[in-house]
Amino acid sequence: MKLESSPPLKALPAPRTRFRIRWTPVLFLLPSIIVFIVFKYYLIFSAVQISLFNYDIVNPPGRFVGLENYFVFLQTSTFWLALKNTFIIFLLSVALTFWVPIVQAIFLSEIRKANGVYRVLYQIPSILPVVAGALLWKWMYNPDSGLFNYLLGKIGLGPYGWLNDINMTKFAIVLPGFFASGGIGVLLYYAAIKSIPAELFESAKIDGCGPWRRIRSLVLPNIRFVILIQFISFMSGALLAFDNIFILTKGGPADASLVVSLLIQRSAFEQSNFGMSAALSFFMFLVIALLTVIQFKLQKEEN
Amino acid sequence: MKRYKGSTHKRAALLTMSLAFGLLTACGSGNGNDPAAESAATPAGNTPAAENTAEPSKEAAIVEITVWDKPAPDAATKAVAEELQAKFDAAYPNIKVIHEDETQTPEKFLAAVAGGEQPDVFRPSFPKMQEYVQAGIVADITDLINASPDKDRFIDGAFNMATRDGKIYGVPLSMYSTGVYYNKKLFETAGITSLPATWDEFAATAKTVQEKNPGTIGFDILGMDWGDWHFEYYVWQAGGDLTELQPDGTVKLNFTSEATVTALQYYKDLKWTHKVVQSNVLQSFEENNKDFYSGKSAMILGASDAYNTFVGQGMDPSVIGFMPYPVGPAGVGPSQVGGSFWAISPSATPEKRQAAFDYIMFMSSKEAFETRLQFNKDNGLGVNPFTVVKDVDTSNYVEGMPADFLSAIRKAAETQQLEYYLKSSLSPYVVKPIQKVLLDQNADPLTELKAAEQLAQKEVIDKYNTDILSQSGK
Repeated sequence: MKLESSPPLKALPAPRTRFRIRWTPVLFLLPSIIVFIVFKYYLIFSAVQISLFNYDIVNPPGRFVGLENYFVFLQTSTFWLALKNTFIIFLLSVALTFWVPIVQAIFLSEIRKANGVYRVLYQIPSILPVVAGALLWKWMYNPDSGLFNYLLGKIGLGPYGWLNDINMTKFAIVLPGFFASGGIGVLLYYAAIKSIPAELFESAKIDGCGPWRRIRSLVLPNIRFVILIQFISFMSGALLAFDNIFILTKGGPADASLVVSLLIQRSAFEQSNFGMSAALSFFMFLVIALLTVIQFKLQKEEN
Repeated sequence: MKRYKGSTHKRAALLTMSLAFGLLTACGSGNGNDPAAESAATPAGNTPAAENTAEPSKEAAIVEITVWDKPAPDAATKAVAEELQAKFDAAYPNIKVIHEDETQTPEKFLAAVAGGEQPDVFRPSFPKMQEYVQAGIVADITDLINASPDKDRFIDGAFNMATRDGKIYGVPLSMYSTGVYYNKKLFETAGITSLPATWDEFAATAKTVQEKNPGTIGFDILGMDWGDWHFEYYVWQAGGDLTELQPDGTVKLNFTSEATVTALQYYKDLKWTHKVVQSNVLQSFEENNKDFYSGKSAMILGASDAYNTFVGQGMDPSVIGFMPYPVGPAGVGPSQVGGSFWAISPSATPEKRQAAFDYIMFMSSKEAFETRLQFNKDNGLGVNPFTVVKDVDTSNYVEGMPADFLSAIRKAAETQQLEYYLKSSLSPYVVKPIQKVLLDQNADPLTELKAAEQLAQKEVIDKYNTDILSQSGK
C-alpha cells in the first residue's frame, strides 16, 4: 500500500504583533535623552567642528584648516609632556586611591554594629567641594608654614617642598585622594557585596575558607562588574582632572604637573586658540573612549 | 535684532555647557553680529540730560549697554563707584547701563566673547589690550576719540599701548609705576642706613636684614605662574628685554640673550647662593603681599598703588619705604609702567558704541577723577600718585602719605619701560625656566632658557608671525 505522503504542514503564521509605542516610558526617558543630546553629543560634534577651524571668536568659525590643529599639537613637546603627566597622575591615582573604597566597603560589610554611622562617615568627605578641599591641602603643603612640614618636623623629618618640589608635585596632587576617595563608591561596592547571597559565605566558611580567600574567590569576582563601571568612571575623571590641579599648582612648577586639561584651558583662554583647544579636547575624548572600549572587550573575553 | 539676540543666547549657552563638560566648544553658526549691516543706523546722539532741548528721555530711544565695572561687595571704593554710576544715570537718562562684576578674570572675558556675550564696555590691562587688538575683539574708536574735546586732556603717550597702525582702540583708565617696597623698621633693626643701588648691594642688604631680624625673609621673590612679571625687570636691568617687536610687526624672542641669562643667573643666586628668598617660592602674589604687610618679609617688588593694599591691611604707613630698582649690569633700573584701558566691543551697534563712549568719557572726566581721589583721601585709602589726565593734580590728595614715599615713587618713575611684547601668550614659557632655577639648584639658566625659547618659537611665535605677515600681505 502506497502511503500517500501527507501534504507538508503549513507553518503557522507568527502571531501578529502590533507595533505599539508605550508612551509612559518614552515620557520618562525623553528628558534624559534630550539632555544627553543637547549637553553631550551636540557639544562633542561642535568640538569636532571647531577643531577644524582657526577659530575666530568674533566672526566664527574662522578659516577652515582641516586637521592642521591636530597635526600642530601632535608635533609640540608641550602636548606630549602634558599627556605623559596626565597618564602618570592617572597611574598614581590608580595605585594610591582606586582600591581604597573597595577595601572600605569590604570592612564596612563586616561591621554589624552602627553600620549606618560608618556609612555616613564615609560619605562626609565627598560633601566637601573639590575647590575647598584643594585649598585646604595647598595650605597644609606650604613648605614654610604648612601643617605637614610642622608635624614631620616634630619627628625629625623634612622639610619637604611638596608642591614646590618638581619630583614630588604629582604625588602631592594625588595624595589627597587617598584620604578622601570614599564617597558614593563605597556605597556602590557595599551594596554589591551585600547582594551576594549569604549562603555562599556560609558554605565557604564551612569549607574552611579564611577571610582573604573569601575576598579573593567570592567577593571580588561577584562585584567585578561594579569595579569595571567604577574604573571607567574613575579613569575618565583622572584623565580629565582639572580643578584640583589648577588650584594646587596650575600645572607648575616648571610644567611638572601640566596635564592635557590644563593645556586645553591654556590654549583657549591664555592663547585665544579655541580651534587648538577643541582639537585637544576631542583627542582626549577619543583616548578615553578607546580605553573604555578596550576595557569592556577585555572584560567580555574574561567572561 | 531678534535674530541677533537669539543667536547670542544660543552661543552663550553652548559655551557655558562646553566649559562645564571639559570639551571646549561653542556654536559653529554665524554670530549674527554684523556691524556692517547695522552701520547704516545713525548713532542715537546720547546727549547729557542737561544739554537736551526737548524731553530726551521720552523721545529718544533708550540705549542699553553692559559694562563690566560693578565693584565687588567688599571693595573699599564701592561707595564712590556707585555714586559716580548714579550720577551718570541721572545725566544720561536715555542710556541704561547694566553693571556687571568688575573682578571677572580674562578667562571669563574670553568665554563671554566666544559665547557672544562680550560686554559693551570692559577694562583690559596693558598686555591684554595688545592681545585683544590682535584678536579683533576691541572696537576701533579712532573717530570717537578724535572727535572728542577731551582727547588732549590725556597725558602724552597715554594711548600708545592701545594704538596699532595709527588706529586707537582704548581710552586710558589708569597707570602705575613699580619699584621696591621695603620695611623701614626691619632695615633700622638691621642697622642699614643706605638703600641698595646695585644688584650686589641688594643681595647683601637682603642677607643682613634677614640675619638681623630672625624669622624674617630678606626678599619675597615672585616665582608663581606670574613670575615673568617681575623677572622682566631684571632682564631690563641687565640691558635687554624678553621680546623685540620688529618693524614689520613680527616678534623676535630674546630668551637666550646675554641679558636674560644674566638675570636668571641672578635669580638663581638670590635663592641658592645668598639664600635670601622664601622657601615657598611658588606662593601667590597675595601671599607675598601678606608677608610684607605682616612684617614677615623685608623687601618686595610692587606697584605704586600697592600702598593702598598695605595700609588697608593695617600696615603702619610710617614703616613703608619705597625705592627705585637697584641697577643691574647695564647700569639701568627702569620702572615698569602698567595700567589699563577702557575698551568697547566691536560687536556693539553704532548707538551702543556712542553710548559706551559717553559713559567712558563721563567716568574719565575731571570731576570723576577728583571725586575718586577725594574719596580715597577721606577714607585713608592712599592715592596712586600717577594719573592718565593732565588736568588732575594728585598732589592735592596725597596728604597723609609719607613725603619720602612720594618722592621715591616719582624718582622710580623717571625711567620707565612697558612690559615685554606678547606677554599674555608667552608667559608660561618664561615662567618655566624661572621655576626650574628657583627649585633645582643644578638647573642651568642658559639650558633652561634655550629649551623655553625653542618651545615658544615653535608653539607661539611662528604662528603669530605667520598671521601678522599674512594679514599685511607680505
